[in-house]
Amino acid sequence: MHTLHRFTVALAAVVALTSACNSSDSTGPSAPLPVLGFSVTPTGSTSARVTFSGRSSESYDIERAEAATGTFASVKTIAVLTADGTQTYNDAGLKATTLYRYRVTSVKNGTRSASTAEATATTLAFGSAAASIATDITTSRTLFADTAYTLSGFIHVANGATLTIQPGTTIKGDYNVLGSTLMIMRGAKIQAVGTVDAPIVFTSSRPAGQRQPGDWGGLLLIGNAPDNRSGVVNIEGSGTDGTAIVSGKNYPVQYNGGTVATDNSGTLAYVRVEFGGFAPIQDQEFNSFTFAAVGSGTRASYLESLAGLDDSFEFFGGGFDLDHLVAFETADDVLDMSEGFSGRIQFVVAMSTVQLVPRTGGGFYSVDLEGIENDGCNGTGCDLGFDSAPFTIPLIANVTIIGCGQASCMGAGGGHGMMLRRGTGGYYVNSVFARWSTDGISLRDAVTYTRAGSTKTPSASADLQVRNVLFADIPKVFQDSSATQNLLDLTANSLTLSTATAASLFTAIPAVGATPTGLSAFDFSPATGSPIATGGLSTFTGAIATKAGTFVTGTAYLGAAAPGGAKWWTGWTAYARN
Amino acid sequence: MRRFAVITLLFTILFGAPSAAISQARSTGRIVGRVVDVATGQGVTDAGVQVVGTAIGVLSGIDGRYTINAVATGTVTLQVRRIGYAPKQVTGIFLEAGKTVEQNISIANAAITLTAVSVTASAEKGTVSEATDQQKNSISVVSTITAEQIAKSPDGDAAQTVKRVSGVTVQDGKYVFVRGLGERYTTSSLNGARVPSPEPERRVVPLDMFPAGLLQTITTTKTFTPDQQGDFSGALVDIKTKEFPAKRSASVQLGSGYASGATGSSLFSATGVGGEPFAMVKHDRDMPPLIRSITDFQHLTLTQADMNLLASSFRNAWTPKTGTGAPLLNGSASFGGNDPILFGHRLGYLISATMSSGTDVKDDQVRALADRGNTKGSTVELDRFTGSTVSQGVLWGGLTNLSTYIGTNNRISFNGLYNRGSDNDARVETGTLSSDGIRAKITRMQYVERAVYSGQLSGEHQITVAQKFDWAATSSGVRRYEPDRSEFVQAIEKGASGSDVLRWVNGGSGGAVRTFSDLRESNHEYRGTYQLEIGPTSGMSTIRIGGLFRSTTRDAQSLSFAIAARGLDNSQRALLPEQIFDGRFATATSNIFSIGPLSQGGSYTARDEISAGFAMAEVPVGRRVRVIGGARYESDRLEVDAFSTLGSPVRTAKLWNDLLPSLAVNFKISETQQLRISASRTLARPEYRELSPIISRDVVGGENVQGDENLQRTNVNNADIRWELYPRSGEVISLAVFAKQFVNPIERVYGAGSGGTSFVFFTNAKSADNYGVEVELRKDLDAFGKFFTPFTFFTNATVMQSQIHLDPSSQAASTNFNRRMVGQAPYVLNTGLTYSSHTGASTATLLFNRVGERLTAAGSSPLPDVIEQPRNVLDLSLRWALSPFVTVRTDLKNLLDTPHEISQGSVIRESYNGGRTIQAGVLWRP
Repeated sequence: MHTLHRFTVALAAVVALTSACNSSDSTGPSAPLPVLGFSVTPTGSTSARVTFSGRSSESYDIERAEAATGTFASVKTIAVLTADGTQTYNDAGLKATTLYRYRVTSVKNGTRSASTAEATATTLAFGSAAASIATDITTSRTLFADTAYTLSGFIHVANGATLTIQPGTTIKGDYNVLGSTLMIMRGAKIQAVGTVDAPIVFTSSRPAGQRQPGDWGGLLLIGNAPDNRSGVVNIEGSGTDGTAIVSGKNYPVQYNGGTVATDNSGTLAYVRVEFGGFAPIQDQEFNSFTFAAVGSGTRASYLESLAGLDDSFEFFGGGFDLDHLVAFETADDVLDMSEGFSGRIQFVVAMSTVQLVPRTGGGFYSVDLEGIENDGCNGTGCDLGFDSAPFTIPLIANVTIIGCGQASCMGAGGGHGMMLRRGTGGYYVNSVFARWSTDGISLRDAVTYTRAGSTKTPSASADLQVRNVLFADIPKVFQDSSATQNLLDLTANSLTLSTATAASLFTAIPAVGATPTGLSAFDFSPATGSPIATGGLSTFTGAIATKAGTFVTGTAYLGAAAPGGAKWWTGWTAYARN
Repeated sequence: MRRFAVITLLFTILFGAPSAAISQARSTGRIVGRVVDVATGQGVTDAGVQVVGTAIGVLSGIDGRYTINAVATGTVTLQVRRIGYAPKQVTGIFLEAGKTVEQNISIANAAITLTAVSVTASAEKGTVSEATDQQKNSISVVSTITAEQIAKSPDGDAAQTVKRVSGVTVQDGKYVFVRGLGERYTTSSLNGARVPSPEPERRVVPLDMFPAGLLQTITTTKTFTPDQQGDFSGALVDIKTKEFPAKRSASVQLGSGYASGATGSSLFSATGVGGEPFAMVKHDRDMPPLIRSITDFQHLTLTQADMNLLASSFRNAWTPKTGTGAPLLNGSASFGGNDPILFGHRLGYLISATMSSGTDVKDDQVRALADRGNTKGSTVELDRFTGSTVSQGVLWGGLTNLSTYIGTNNRISFNGLYNRGSDNDARVETGTLSSDGIRAKITRMQYVERAVYSGQLSGEHQITVAQKFDWAATSSGVRRYEPDRSEFVQAIEKGASGSDVLRWVNGGSGGAVRTFSDLRESNHEYRGTYQLEIGPTSGMSTIRIGGLFRSTTRDAQSLSFAIAARGLDNSQRALLPEQIFDGRFATATSNIFSIGPLSQGGSYTARDEISAGFAMAEVPVGRRVRVIGGARYESDRLEVDAFSTLGSPVRTAKLWNDLLPSLAVNFKISETQQLRISASRTLARPEYRELSPIISRDVVGGENVQGDENLQRTNVNNADIRWELYPRSGEVISLAVFAKQFVNPIERVYGAGSGGTSFVFFTNAKSADNYGVEVELRKDLDAFGKFFTPFTFFTNATVMQSQIHLDPSSQAASTNFNRRMVGQAPYVLNTGLTYSSHTGASTATLLFNRVGERLTAAGSSPLPDVIEQPRNVLDLSLRWALSPFVTVRTDLKNLLDTPHEISQGSVIRESYNGGRTIQAGVLWRP
């Protein structure tokens, strides 16, 4: 008996230890927590959708009021939930083009929470045609201006198809289908030629006022031009739906290994991409515009990137001509080129004023915002490291790139007007950089410096030349001005650290920290007597002249706008923070 | 560099079981044991065991077990007889009043000439001989380590022990791989049943989960027989927990330790919420209810007030505390016996519990990425971080073994095991994030809790003398719980005075991250085997038919959240994280924090059902040759549902049917020499995580790892030839040649993305070929003279050659074509010297271990492959008897303290120093 007793005690001890691991969920406080994630979106002329995050064992009361002054009345009670989850309520029977206010109250164990802050929605106008694009486009197709298109999923234009988009067409990236993106695949083409009065707009499917960077993916062109990486290299952010090629899904998209420098991916003109840049993988966002291995048969002009995550315009290998680019509120770099990009760009205006709040879970602002970030080669398949050929040698002329003006919105590693690294070359002429908190140019590494001939005064044949550039509201021109290496001679290369403020250079730009009132806040034309009205390199020589050909011409002024010239960034562009 | 000297004092109190003799007459004792066939190692039933000079005797029952009660005390001789076997006497068994003596007796087939018909029981050298006997008699190539060898070694857990086996390598002190193959090709089982793995990316159980004190034997089997599970591909490591003792005994052992390098020095350590030291953390580490209630962040529009609330809802703990390292503690208790407590029915029982805890420091820890240089084939270092990790660990567990006989021919056993452990880590490192162009300090706190349980009910039934049936039903499960990992990144910037200032990297997605992970898996396994012996005893054939069904479900989730902030000035960024998150930036008017889930995460569930059947026969051909042949059929129905944070679910359904034949021929060249030839087909299935195309990332700046739902299982064709010589009991010399062909081996490789981004994924290579030679030697050194008599030398070495074959159009083609298979090392060497005093009471063991350059991941071209560098490990363990009751033990581990190092070209990707360990203790056995 004695033995049995001891045995039982020991067994009980083991059982007690064994069962100690079982955990139970802790219960929250009895009073309801605040209702999170509450928003309202108009879904038609007579309907709106209410969305919020619901919690188990709570019920919810949705109230609505008409117009700015109407009184709230309950429109829907959601019974006690049995599980956490996002709640949506489609409120129907509304009047068209009418403002409605909504609020939600949580009830738990008879206790009501405080109501949410009000959210508003204005119902849509009657009668516009709508179409959803949810599968890959494998035969040529035209999109029409009278139809509201919604891009739902990862839409690949493939199989040699041509996607033609009429002027004035609006295509909305579906906020509800994560990462919705348009990819023009190798061999396929896009003909999206808008006009000043009827631009083609890619934007978020959410109503104005609710849009956020990262609401949808972006526009990607994948061509067949060469780059400098070997092996299999995929578009960053692609491949999150597995490796199988399934229409509308995010399968891996290889872009390297192209062979046709003159490849043609189509024509873009007067095209805006707004609130894109969704990141399917952390730190691997799509950009507003991504050009991967795009060949010289392609032509792009008058493109605007507005409030997108990652870069406004990113280029991987290839090379083609672009002109008249606009970037407002960029989350990383305005221009980002690498892997042997050899194209030419003239006339770019870019301005950021703030760090916007991206879509929750859509990605983040970068920790290194720069104006231009150019790399030679980086990553797998750079067989000769930074010296892998072909080198990245673009010609960038007449750019006006204005940062947000404070270290606090540039990221811990950012704030360089130009970041030139990893063996990049290129010709950077007749430009203005303003309000970059760290410096004007970072020539990051020795290999990049060798592109300039490892001399402070690069010859006219050097692969890296920076000529006739003015810097304003920037602490210093080069990152480490005391270093004996990796910087260029200011005088010999006509690089000017302006004593004038950035605001004084231009006809109108908002003050640092100010919220732009709209497009009218921006006039990048030189102000009267501005130092950027002159000082340009009007005649190119040497390698720059060869590269420029007839596409890029020298100017007597610096920046993207001729004194008294056309304000080409108006009419077809938009400025909005949400 | 910090060196550890850990002095441990062990106090062992053995309860002498004062009530042990209640049911027994004072003048008699009890003898128990097994009668086994010397050739096969199998138990022999129906053998008569008699006490010479008396009429007392019994017939052996199932598995050859016998018990003789009420034997008069004094020196006793036993005689064993059975038809077909030569009779055998065992003399010199000393029996005390009221005590039980365990005596196993091996008998030989009458056809074999015996040189000695009797052996003296006291001369049996214990379990080392038992191990070599088991090795000798097994029908396949096995290596066994027994409890006695475990006790002699300085090993604290199963992982440390098993690396003493030939061809075995232990990675990270946890994962076993055999013959230099990746751990993917080694399976582990506990008492013959599969144990689920608590590691999300591996199928292998970390063997450090099993304290050495609970182990009876560890058997490593390297050739396949159809009665083993088909995903045995390289080797099977079976852990047997201790059975009940023959006589009642109880013991309690307590120990304490002192860590000279840690105590008193400014050691940082992870903060906790309570419960961490017991691996039973409180709920304060759970995902905050507000965060958890949001099931779909990406379709909600969070207001600033919402984000302020959410950012403030995390536990405000980011910085490790400074303090002293916790003292080393260990203890164990066990209680067992064999008593008529079940309504007068004898029940064997063992209840055992053990725990250990301590602080472990990895110093001079370096991690870096390799980038290719500007000349072909050269590498340059990138993103190098240096720092150290302080880890507070605890491991405790217990087991209950119950066993009873119904008649003499039926045995029913229950085996229950529960283990639980935790690691509470703090890692602080500084380095450069080259892509962002900043120097940074990364502070990470991570707490991982692991628990394994297993309950097994098994039975053995001797239906007739020639027929036997055994079965087992096992329920097991595992949980890996990692609540609330924190990471905080600060840029090291120049302050106004030119000195370094730490400022939060408040932008991007990695500046402040919290991660919550949980993995649960449960297994139900049922198996049965019927065995029939036919033919005369001198040439008996054995037929075995059996089946197995196993169902597994796994549920795994990992969610990460990043907090970013806008508009902080430099002085605000320089605040401590606990200040930043104390609410000052989350007031009603604050417009600073944003929060979001990271795409590196998601969840997956797996359901896996394996049905298998086998038939095999062991047939003697003539007197010297035995042929073992058969086949196994396995059908695996596997479904994995993956939900990435991106929200598009991917379902994978696999149905794999495999016929796995096996043929072995064992040649008995002489009494002491044996030649084995075998050929078989086995397979390796992808791990569930590898089939889930969701992305995970361990550390800021670390690699994104992504599964692939298109993976195929690997088929392995094996061939082995092995010659063995057993000169004397306890000695062995063997030489083996093996070849393996892998079809569709699964490899961990790097994929490339635009802009230099990269990720790790899993893919099938076309095939791989492996060849190798294995040598094992265990030899007493008495031949060199009297002085050397107490010494035994042993060594085992394996040399391997491996070549991968890739399909040039596959994703794997971005790796190097001319290389070994991933996971493969070119050689493994274990060697040692044991001194054993005449009585066996004092021993000294010197152990040396070295593994060749192991390929841990294929480099993406043109980068070279990632190699784990060889390390020399030298351990010394001493036991000397001060008196018959007191033994002093000293264990010196990792005497050379060679750094752990993983390199890629000229770049050191990872390295750290583990430090030397000295433990001392006293064992008291009354």
